[in-house]
Amino acid sequence: MAVINNKKSRVGGEVPMSSTADIAFLLLIFFLVTTTFPKDKGLAIVLPEEAEEVQVSQKNILHLIIQANGLVDVKRGESQQVQTMRAAEIESLWRQEVAANPNLIAAVKTDPTAPYKFMVDVLDALHSANAERISLQVLEN
Amino acid sequence: MSMKGGFKRKNKASEEIPSSSLADIAFLLLIFFMVTTVFQRDKDRRIEWTEAEAAQKIDEKQKNILNIWMERDGAIFINDQEYQMAEVSQVVGPLYAASDRALVISIRGDREVPYRFMDQVQKELVAAGVVRVVFATQLEQSMQRERR
Repeated sequence: MAVINNKKSRVGGEVPMSSTADIAFLLLIFFLVTTTFPKDKGLAIVLPEEAEEVQVSQKNILHLIIQANGLVDVKRGESQQVQTMRAAEIESLWRQEVAANPNLIAAVKTDPTAPYKFMVDVLDALHSANAERISLQVLEN
Repeated sequence: MSMKGGFKRKNKASEEIPSSSLADIAFLLLIFFMVTTVFQRDKDRRIEWTEAEAAQKIDEKQKNILNIWMERDGAIFINDQEYQMAEVSQVVGPLYAASDRALVISIRGDREVPYRFMDQVQKELVAAGVVRVVFATQLEQSMQRERR
């Protein structure tokens, strides 16, 4: 009886150390695997190279003129007809226009005093409509 | 007798690998990597972000992304340092060349910054030969859009 008693108390007396390493490595691997760094998001564009002038016929250009108050004047190529709309409406407009003319280029001209967010709104609408040929300019008076 | 007993004890000790120090090694590794890891990132400026629904993740390694911050008054910050508009192409040009033309410029502008500053920055970047530019935005939820 005395012998059994003695053995029992010895087992409980020390904490098992051999598994601490496993726990540490498990923690290490867990955090290695679950750590994700937040990737930046944004609207990508490709800038033209310096002194790269491309002549585009007017009928392939859709002019989007962003006014200082955020409204957008839409002008098709050489026609003088101007249609004013909100930035959110441009997505469906672009889809219609590009279906009619696949070579269409969006020329976004922003008023120099217009807040940057209005340009982003229009660019967002164009990206949502999968527009690829976009030219960013500043409106010259 | 006592010699024999001592020999026996020694033999017993070498039979198993000492595992109690493995934990120390693991923690040492953990701490070593924690201390030596440096994230090369500039501090965030206080800007009000623009939001876009079509915003996509920038498909480039973090070290190939250069942030250009533009505050509401048109102040430009690159790598925690303020620059004048005319200096941007001189600052970005060498960095772009050093990155083997892989650098992506992330323009982080305040939503209220007048567009003429953005246009000037773009012209500076064109002068520096940069091709890939991202207008950094936050992702807009479509719920938010409908409310507007």
